[in-house]
Amino acid sequence: MSNTPPHSTDRERAARDAPHGFATESSNLVIETSALTKRYGDAIVAVDDLELRVRRGEVYGFLGPNGAGKTTTLRMLLGLVRPTSGHAAVLGAPTGSPQELARIGSLVEAPAFYPYLSGRDNLRVLARHAGVADDRVEAVLAEVGLSARAPDRSRTYSLGMKQRLGVAAALLKDPELLILDEPTNGLDPAGMAEMRDFIRSLGKGGRTVVLSSHLMGEVEQVTDRVGVIRDGSLVAEGTVEELRGRAGLRVRAEPLPEAARLIRALPDVDEVTSVDGLLDVTVDTSRAPTINRLLVEGGIAVSALYAQKASLEDVFLELTKRGEEPS
Amino acid sequence: MTRNVTAELLVLRKRAATWILLGIWTFLGIFFAYVIPYALDPEDAPGGLEQFFPESLAGTLISGFPFFGGVFALMLGVFALGSEYGWDTLKTLFTQRPGRLRVLAAKLIALGIVLVPFVVALFATGAIASYVIAQIEDAPVSWPSAWLLVRAIAAGWLILAVWAALGVLLGVLTRGTSLAIGVGILYALVIEGLLSAFVDSVSVLEPLTNVFLRANGYSIATALGASTQDIESSGPGSFSGPFVDSVQALAVLVAFIAGFVALSGFVLRRRDVA
Repeated sequence: MSNTPPHSTDRERAARDAPHGFATESSNLVIETSALTKRYGDAIVAVDDLELRVRRGEVYGFLGPNGAGKTTTLRMLLGLVRPTSGHAAVLGAPTGSPQELARIGSLVEAPAFYPYLSGRDNLRVLARHAGVADDRVEAVLAEVGLSARAPDRSRTYSLGMKQRLGVAAALLKDPELLILDEPTNGLDPAGMAEMRDFIRSLGKGGRTVVLSSHLMGEVEQVTDRVGVIRDGSLVAEGTVEELRGRAGLRVRAEPLPEAARLIRALPDVDEVTSVDGLLDVTVDTSRAPTINRLLVEGGIAVSALYAQKASLEDVFLELTKRGEEPS
Repeated sequence: MTRNVTAELLVLRKRAATWILLGIWTFLGIFFAYVIPYALDPEDAPGGLEQFFPESLAGTLISGFPFFGGVFALMLGVFALGSEYGWDTLKTLFTQRPGRLRVLAAKLIALGIVLVPFVVALFATGAIASYVIAQIEDAPVSWPSAWLLVRAIAAGWLILAVWAALGVLLGVLTRGTSLAIGVGILYALVIEGLLSAFVDSVSVLEPLTNVFLRANGYSIATALGASTQDIESSGPGSFSGPFVDSVQALAVLVAFIAGFVALSGFVLRRRDVA
């Protein structure tokens, strides 16, 4: 886990060469922000000095609790919202520029369509604005499995179908970068699984995907790297494995205080904490037999001893929990 | 730009509200210009019985544009932009390729194109109504010159376009439809209507009323043969002058369109789509 990703030499060189100080599109970075900030009035800071870097070809999970600034960040990257200060470049172009938008597909928050137009006509409207041939509409409808309902008005679509239409719209331009904000909203479990596979396949095709989601399982299964945002700032970034940290051991034993004392005495144990009548031991899991022998020889009754790794959800909750409110 | 415009034409063409407004506008336009006054007391009409004959077609119909037609065009303009906020489709459009001003330009051009059938439908239906009345009255059928008709249709389009541009601006400013239509009608009825009514007794208002859409629209209408008496007695849309020079009126309306469009573009470009 790291707060800022390592900067490659290539990237630094590219950034030096770029007139705005950012990496050019030839660099490995697809999204790069510097001190990106959005304030609403004096009181609300939606995004605070955000430093975000997304590499070419990766599926990047963008996590954060409600109100953390995820959607505002994504809207800034798409040029929908103007930053108060700081800079952002996407695919080497300023945000909101036609050069940028031509290469990005996006689905931000709920998909929005003309309710009286059919799914097909909605996509035709977008295709014409995007400068994409009308033929592409049928291809993306087929890709998301909506061909059969394409002639129906979009107001008759279920939430899941609207979500699929939103993804179809995002794919119209055959984009290099896909920004998907909660793409599984409204999908049933089968639809969610399908969407996960779909996102994974998009990532494998060399596309860069930024996936914002609340569903840890979804992120865990699909993403290459994850960034966690809290109160508008990136608080952690890394692969899921890095974020989850190394595994430890969990011990159920009696008496617990004596077991904790014995384990703490071992030289390679980093930390022992007591949680709900169990001990969480931060140690290499290969040390399990040693700890078991130590406890048994010390007269401790060991009823359970197993390897335990924090879930992404645990890590997320830990990273995003707020400080104690002042009394 | 052509593909952007065809996209926006698709949006307007397939919207029921467009056709409903066109139907109501055409029906009521003919109803108030021909059916009601002819059915009540045609001899007492401001322009006499001749007002209903084909030769007076341009003047009879154009007097309905500056207020009555304006309200319809205002609604059309509001729907074109204001609805995008309600459906949240603005974010979908703005994340496509063209950029905000190009989207706005495409919407305005499409709106301008859609206004053409509004004008032509009224003139075509009016021509039929006037022909029928001439037949009923056993009067000779004499049509206005093609040049006068072209000028009347162009003037009608211009008057509708300025109101539609105001509707677009209000839709952008209020980010919706209801308030925009409310404010637009309030402006047309209360601000322009009441102040125009007081201009005879409060002369200081005259410079202000001279730049009203109503004053300039009716000034163009009178230049094309609309009866001033008819305009003075046209209910909530009535106007009793002073009328301005038609070239000046034309310039003022064009300036209003440019102003409304520029302001809409400025606000649309600057404001966050949150």
